[in-house]
Amino acid sequence: MNYFPDEVIEHVFDFVTSHKDRNTISLVCKSWYKIERFSRQQVFIGNCYAINPERLLRRFPCFKSLTLKGKPHFADFNLVPHEWGGFVQPWIEALARGRVGLEELRLKRMVVTDESLELLSRSFASFKSLVLVSCEGFTTDGLASIAANCRHLQELDLQENEIDDHRGQWLSCFPDTCTTLVTLNFACLEGETNLVALERLVARSPNLKSLKLNRAVPLDALARLMLCAPQIVDLGVGSYENDPDSESYLKLKAAIKKCTSLRSLSGFLEAAPHCLSAFHPICHNLTSLNLSYAAEIHGSHLIKLIQHCKNLQRLWILDSIGDNGLEVVASTCKELQELRVFPCDLVGVGDTTVTEEGLVAISAGCPKLHSILYFCNQMTNAALIIVAKNCPNFIRFRLCILEPNKPDHETSQPLDEGFGAIVKACKSLRRLSVSGLLTDQVFYYIGMYANQLEMLSIAFAGDTDKGMLSVLNGCKKMRKLEIRDSPFGDKALLADVNKYETMRSLWMSSCEVTLSGCKRLAQKAPWLNVEIINENDNNRMEQNGHEGRQKVDKMYLYRTVVGTRMDVPPFVWIL
Amino acid sequence: MVKEGLELEITELRLGLPGRDVAEKMMKKRAFTEMIMTSSGSNNSDQCESGVVSSGGDVDKVNDSPAAKSQVVGWPPVCSYRRKNSCKEALTTKAGLGYVKVSMDGVPYLRKMDLGSSQGYDDLAFALEKLFGFHGIGVALKDGEKCEYVTIYEDKDGDWMLAGDVPWGMFIESCKRLRIMKRSDATGFGLQPRGVEEC
Repeated sequence: MNYFPDEVIEHVFDFVTSHKDRNTISLVCKSWYKIERFSRQQVFIGNCYAINPERLLRRFPCFKSLTLKGKPHFADFNLVPHEWGGFVQPWIEALARGRVGLEELRLKRMVVTDESLELLSRSFASFKSLVLVSCEGFTTDGLASIAANCRHLQELDLQENEIDDHRGQWLSCFPDTCTTLVTLNFACLEGETNLVALERLVARSPNLKSLKLNRAVPLDALARLMLCAPQIVDLGVGSYENDPDSESYLKLKAAIKKCTSLRSLSGFLEAAPHCLSAFHPICHNLTSLNLSYAAEIHGSHLIKLIQHCKNLQRLWILDSIGDNGLEVVASTCKELQELRVFPCDLVGVGDTTVTEEGLVAISAGCPKLHSILYFCNQMTNAALIIVAKNCPNFIRFRLCILEPNKPDHETSQPLDEGFGAIVKACKSLRRLSVSGLLTDQVFYYIGMYANQLEMLSIAFAGDTDKGMLSVLNGCKKMRKLEIRDSPFGDKALLADVNKYETMRSLWMSSCEVTLSGCKRLAQKAPWLNVEIINENDNNRMEQNGHEGRQKVDKMYLYRTVVGTRMDVPPFVWIL
Repeated sequence: MVKEGLELEITELRLGLPGRDVAEKMMKKRAFTEMIMTSSGSNNSDQCESGVVSSGGDVDKVNDSPAAKSQVVGWPPVCSYRRKNSCKEALTTKAGLGYVKVSMDGVPYLRKMDLGSSQGYDDLAFALEKLFGFHGIGVALKDGEKCEYVTIYEDKDGDWMLAGDVPWGMFIESCKRLRIMKRSDATGFGLQPRGVEEC
């Protein structure tokens, strides 16, 4: 049925890179399925237990790039025990055995060991790019293997991982012949850094565009590094404490002025804020600024910096900026697309936080805003309604009111109407996190209006099963649903078992689902893995006579084509 | 249950009763932390310092924070890496690691020093003097009256204490940061009262 030879079709397919589109293409006909299979270069696996490496290799023998995600999202908040799973080792072993020409590996929330990194570094001659996000289980020894053995390494990007820092010499393991680095991000390493090795490495990497340093790299080293790499586009500053009159500060100022390609700035893990002025000359070039780890930067120094950043598209900040600071952002950053405001003080009520006023100001001042993550102390329905009116283009809207169940602080009403306004106005909304006092009504709105919603996070919300049912019935594009501490139970869970085949996963913890409910679900849907995570009392649930009615503490279910996983730890029970 | 009893006591201490013995508080906290570390099924030992209470009612860990409100596991939803590295809570877990920040009133920059490299308060005094090139800090640690500056430190709980009151070992374990401030400013600062003699 093809009007063109296969090679031509394959060439056309080359222009289709989104994995969703490629999945769709492969469903058109058998011939296209076959052509697409052999030409797929990048494979994305959102849940590493939905499939296994053998089947991956059978379907896509020629891929070069693999993205794998392991633990569920709530693992970020310590709700999933460390030993739950998500090991990359079997994948690397299988890919090595299958002689895959792997060039890129991107992992998120997976367990990576030094052994895995060593094997990775030795098995793929063309390996170019390693991106690890929120992973754990490895040390700087593993990094040393990567540095030493990957001859063509271009990208080593470590984001927010828990890495055991052996204070070794991993940076010196890059051979002198390694000149291909484009990205080097080791901001999350806690230990000392061999500054000499680092400077030499940067000096011999003319293609280096992204450099993110850890807190052990002091100011004078930063100055020298920037002088070596004026072509830098993305910079993560490590330690930024200094004496403003010192020679290195003056050198830094001079070096910064030369970095005319700099577009993204982050870090400032340790910072003396009044020295930020060194960056003012290049601020108008910045499109991305991440100060969310810079607890010492606030007040007037922060404001002054932001006032120079007229072209900012992405801003990550701490809530110490306050509503006043957000007003400055709103009046300065007219190109802003993404804003994240993180809480500074997790312990009690902070001295400065942000409120609904800051959010309203941003929505009014930044017409291009499409993604927001906002931690705040209080919110009102009125404010959310205004925000919805100002910004109907939200794709991601995540609001976290720090105190669970907090109502509209002016009217004491639930925040149903406010969130309702958001989902009604924002027709492209794909991701939503709700918080504050919420009844079943908000879920009625979500089910009714959030037609494009793919990911929903619920905590301490809702009254009855009707809430969850509204979402399951209404949101046709739902992929990931995660719920904690909400009164949803078996009735909602079991209402439409086939729904879960259209979703990647469902997480429910501290809800009303019972063991017998989960068992029934597992029976009805053999293509699901229904996991019960019970870390406090191993197997107590099985032994207890009233097990049926026992509420399940944590349940995680996901569709899979390969059945029960083999690496289940003792506290996980797959029904 | 013994565990529950201890928990309630700790909660009482958090209300900041005056005249409370600093050393006693340290010892109790240490013992409790040990308990948490060895309790079965506890995977979140790195969270012990921050002290969180499971929302399900199971008391694995205890509210260790100065705020009266109880906390819930995994709430607010900030990822653990961020908790450890940016928030005030993060500083709790870094106490005792050796390097602390030192600020001095009137000086526009921070310094860092390794407490572990000092052998005692005298040593510390000397090190501070070298750090800032300023004489007259050392004496302040031991003898409050003579000097223009006093040295105070922030402990694991976020309380500011006068340096020199507790045994050295206890001090370096709990000191998160140091501040050298003018004696005249210190009086209104809300320092914790000096520890009682018994240790």
